[in-house]
Amino acid sequence: MMENAWLIPLIPLFSSVILLIFGKQLRESAAYIGILAVLVSFICSVIVLVERIDAPTYKQEIVWLVTGEVNITAGFEVTALNTLLLVMVSLVSCLVQIYSKGYMEGEKRFSIFYTYLGFFTFAMLGLVLSPNLLQLYFFWELVGLGSFLLIGFYFYKKEAKEAAKKAFIMTRIGDLGLLIAIILLFWKTGSFDFQEIFSSIGAGEISGGMLTLIALLLFAGAVGKSGQFPLHSWLPDAMEGPTPVSALIHAATMVAAGVYLVAVTFPIFSASSTAMETVAVIGGFTAIFAASIALVQKDIKRILAYSTISQLGYMMLALGTAGYTAGIFHLLTHAFFKALLFLAAGSIIHAIHTQDIYKMGGLWKKMRLTSPLFLIGALSISGVPLLSGFFSKDEILVSAWVNGNFLLFWIAMITAFLTSFYVFRLFFLIFTGQPKTEVVSKESPFSMVLPMGILGILAVCSGYIQTPWFGSYLGEFLVKGNKFLLVPAHSEGPAWIMAAAAVFSLSGILLAYLIYVKQTISRNFLIKEGSFINTTLINKYFIDETYYFTVGKTVKGLALFCSYIERFVIGGFEWAVTGTIRSLGSAGARLQSGQVQVYGVAVFAGLAVLVIIYALTGGLIR
Amino acid sequence: MDLQTMLNYHWEAMIPEFIILGTTVLLTLLDLFWPPYIKRRRLAWIGLIGILLSLLSLLAVLPIEVVSILDDSFRLDSFAKAFKMLLLVGAAFVMLLAESYEPKEGMKEQRGEFYYLFLTALLGAMIMTSSGDLITLFIGLELLSISSYILAGIRKHHTASNEAAMKYVISGGISTAITLFGMSYLYGLTGSTNLKAMSIIMKETVDTQFLYLFGLAFFMVLVGLSFKIASAPFHMWAPDVYQGAPIPVTAFLSVVSKTAGFAIILRILLSLYREVWGDAVGAFSFFESNSIYIAFLAGITMIIGNVVALRQRNLKRLFAYSSIAHAGYLLVAFATLGGQYFLFDTFWFYLLAYLFMNLGAFAVIQVVSGNTEQEGIDMLTGLYQRSPWLAVAMGISILSLAGIPGTAGFIAKVSIFLGAFAVDPGFYVLAAIMAGTTVISYIYYFGILVQLFLRSSIIQTKPKVPAGINILVAVCVLMTILFGLAPNIALDFFHQHFGDLLDF
Repeated sequence: MMENAWLIPLIPLFSSVILLIFGKQLRESAAYIGILAVLVSFICSVIVLVERIDAPTYKQEIVWLVTGEVNITAGFEVTALNTLLLVMVSLVSCLVQIYSKGYMEGEKRFSIFYTYLGFFTFAMLGLVLSPNLLQLYFFWELVGLGSFLLIGFYFYKKEAKEAAKKAFIMTRIGDLGLLIAIILLFWKTGSFDFQEIFSSIGAGEISGGMLTLIALLLFAGAVGKSGQFPLHSWLPDAMEGPTPVSALIHAATMVAAGVYLVAVTFPIFSASSTAMETVAVIGGFTAIFAASIALVQKDIKRILAYSTISQLGYMMLALGTAGYTAGIFHLLTHAFFKALLFLAAGSIIHAIHTQDIYKMGGLWKKMRLTSPLFLIGALSISGVPLLSGFFSKDEILVSAWVNGNFLLFWIAMITAFLTSFYVFRLFFLIFTGQPKTEVVSKESPFSMVLPMGILGILAVCSGYIQTPWFGSYLGEFLVKGNKFLLVPAHSEGPAWIMAAAAVFSLSGILLAYLIYVKQTISRNFLIKEGSFINTTLINKYFIDETYYFTVGKTVKGLALFCSYIERFVIGGFEWAVTGTIRSLGSAGARLQSGQVQVYGVAVFAGLAVLVIIYALTGGLIR
Repeated sequence: MDLQTMLNYHWEAMIPEFIILGTTVLLTLLDLFWPPYIKRRRLAWIGLIGILLSLLSLLAVLPIEVVSILDDSFRLDSFAKAFKMLLLVGAAFVMLLAESYEPKEGMKEQRGEFYYLFLTALLGAMIMTSSGDLITLFIGLELLSISSYILAGIRKHHTASNEAAMKYVISGGISTAITLFGMSYLYGLTGSTNLKAMSIIMKETVDTQFLYLFGLAFFMVLVGLSFKIASAPFHMWAPDVYQGAPIPVTAFLSVVSKTAGFAIILRILLSLYREVWGDAVGAFSFFESNSIYIAFLAGITMIIGNVVALRQRNLKRLFAYSSIAHAGYLLVAFATLGGQYFLFDTFWFYLLAYLFMNLGAFAVIQVVSGNTEQEGIDMLTGLYQRSPWLAVAMGISILSLAGIPGTAGFIAKVSIFLGAFAVDPGFYVLAAIMAGTTVISYIYYFGILVQLFLRSSIIQTKPKVPAGINILVAVCVLMTILFGLAPNIALDFFHQHFGDLLDF
């Protein structure tokens, strides 16, 4: 199957094309085609993963374009890292598509939704399989396009339209960095191929300063896609898309692409300590920064979005402190529990038609299946012992500790506390207390509960692939045979870190319980309502406003200036050019009088001109 | 020459031509003796089978070495093979178009002729690619021309068709006169009509007076033959004739006839002038010192084709100008040949890509116009709602004609564009004109796309698509995309079977 791994992304593309053509006739049965296609992809991915465990990396390429001396290739590669992502992406996509069948029921553009989902899945799987940077960049942009289309799915809503635009533009800023990095790498190494680039870096062919610059530019691409500070503000807005989309793209897959990019080009980063530190610091800062905003938001999906940003920061922190395994591990577990949380949130929104958590409450008894599943997700993200999030978070904390960056270590610790607090604030406000709105419908349909159930099982169990007790299967799988990756499969740290992490997480839950259920502690205990900190947090540190007044205003001023140049200088030039062309055109058309004798004259005149010039120059014009 | 020598010739090399000739005769006889109630459209299928058999036999003779029959009056070298392949594929497609061509009136009694005249024209074109002698080349040229004149006017009772034929004949006459005048110079200077014998004499000529006369002959032959490829200054007939002629004939003129025109230009001018001196001391070759004139013609052709196309509202007329523009792009490749750089694969690939994208577009135009006499751009309005498949196919063909990445047209155009830089000294101005006019061409090509996809249609009738046309369109679109994504398939085939035309 490894030789045929290229089929995995093409199957969803095929379904997407089919739906594009026949969508109108198929209506809601479009879902079956989409689900079936991605299910096949998932099964193939699992087979590839199983085969890859005992086999070396498989790579196949064809020459796509020859320019001068350089052969530009296209192909695919089956590495340890991308088999894991193949399975994760196809699984989550499959579950989300099953879920969407119930969630999107009655939607007018139902088949279009599945067309987009198939297209996105194709792009994401293609991104993962790419063996070189150029191909990765193509798919990177296609993924962005898929995300744009899906965020703007309700394009008649102004917010959705704005959010889609914002997401596209803000990620483009990062993409520009990525593109420059790719060009620089090509310039310096003459190749787009990962292996060749890593070899020339290993041989020291690129100077240290240039390497740092390239790594930072690559990281800029990752910052945009993964919603890291300062390019994070599109992600909460992207919640305007349908909830299944938020679960698929803005929790599990696309936003993880930035982390994947850093992981896949890890040898470039690890060659530059400045770049590594930048990654770690940005990651750590984003983690605590986004977690603090999540404390006070009241829209269920936005809280989860900030939580995603914060968790992605965690992953970056792990990668930046050389915790390669830890970063990937958290990427996988996070995909499962965060998708679960989003899908459960979707199920709640489906039932009561509001996203404001202050208008929810007492749902535990009403939604017998969604509630425990949400609880599992919440426990897992909080890092409660024995669930998947606990192990991956522990791995990150250990790698930060081993790396010796104690400030970042304690930031990560505090973030763990904040995380469990805001997640349980969410949980208690939604599920306990008195109901504040009427429940419109009962439990969601089976097609929505089944995917949540599967994700629930994974959120509990997926941590056991890398534990300090049973062995680090994941780390060994990732590191084995990868000669460019100079990191240990597992970092050994002091045992108290695990205990401390558990204590921090549980105390976060306890605090949330005391404030929101027992109400023994006032809500204003820590931060007074209306206080400076509170308003700052509610307004997300005024980042959007800051951007508006600095970048936005500057750009607008610049735009005004440019528009004058455009209107008068360029416009004038344009007017002259188009005028000339247009008059040339009409002159030509006038000459075309329909009289054949004119045509004959033109021929003889043409011949005469040629011959006369030839005669005058003596046949030698050069 | 006795019978024995005659029989010793490798006549099997001419099997493709014999098959076409045989099919033509068969069709003529059938048309004559078939009772009137048998539909003459069936002849098209027989003709198509003939063309396909001929194509098969061409594939069978691909491996054989250069064959020369009757002192080079017939030559089967890799040049001939490469061009015949294009001609046969193009003619097969045109035959499919012609089969389902059903105008309102004026085609009843001439159905039979309609089909076998395509075959005689094809035969002429094939001879044009495959002869090493001026006389036979000229006969091929005239066979093609005369068949085409009749084809353009095949709708006897249709005024536009008659006018087109008339203009075509007169322009053709002028073209023939100029070509022959040029050829007579060449014959007078060398005393032979055999290209090989002539080129030996010509490359040994050092006298500047003689070289000067060679130059004059060069221009006359080039201008005379530029009639066939519809390039400046001999392009003005094209819009009128393309517009008046029946759609399959228009398609034939813009693809098959143009390919044959390029074949004869390359055949005569390259084999004669490739090694001629450009000046008295032999510092330059002829092409090196004179390619500037070809470049000039190429530039003018691109500008006229693209700029005047902007003002056209009639689709067939628009495509006439578009085809003039494409002849201009191909002349860029001809100009950059410049003697030592023989970018023949570029040339061939462009013609191949052009064949698919242009015939794909013409097929859609024919189907959509149906039996109405509508030919305006507005007939495509909202086609996407009426028939998504046709609209997408047309869209892809148009994108390829415009040279958008991902299509064969892009690869073809880029290779010519890069070729203009590859030669030394480079044709930078010409490349700039090519880029600039390509941008201009976007205006009218995208105008068509706008009509196809973004306007809603007033007409609600769905065009009826015959199976033959469906296959034709599907093949064209498929090939356009395939060669756009993997041009090496075609280029590898070319290099494998035709080499670098060393036996030219």
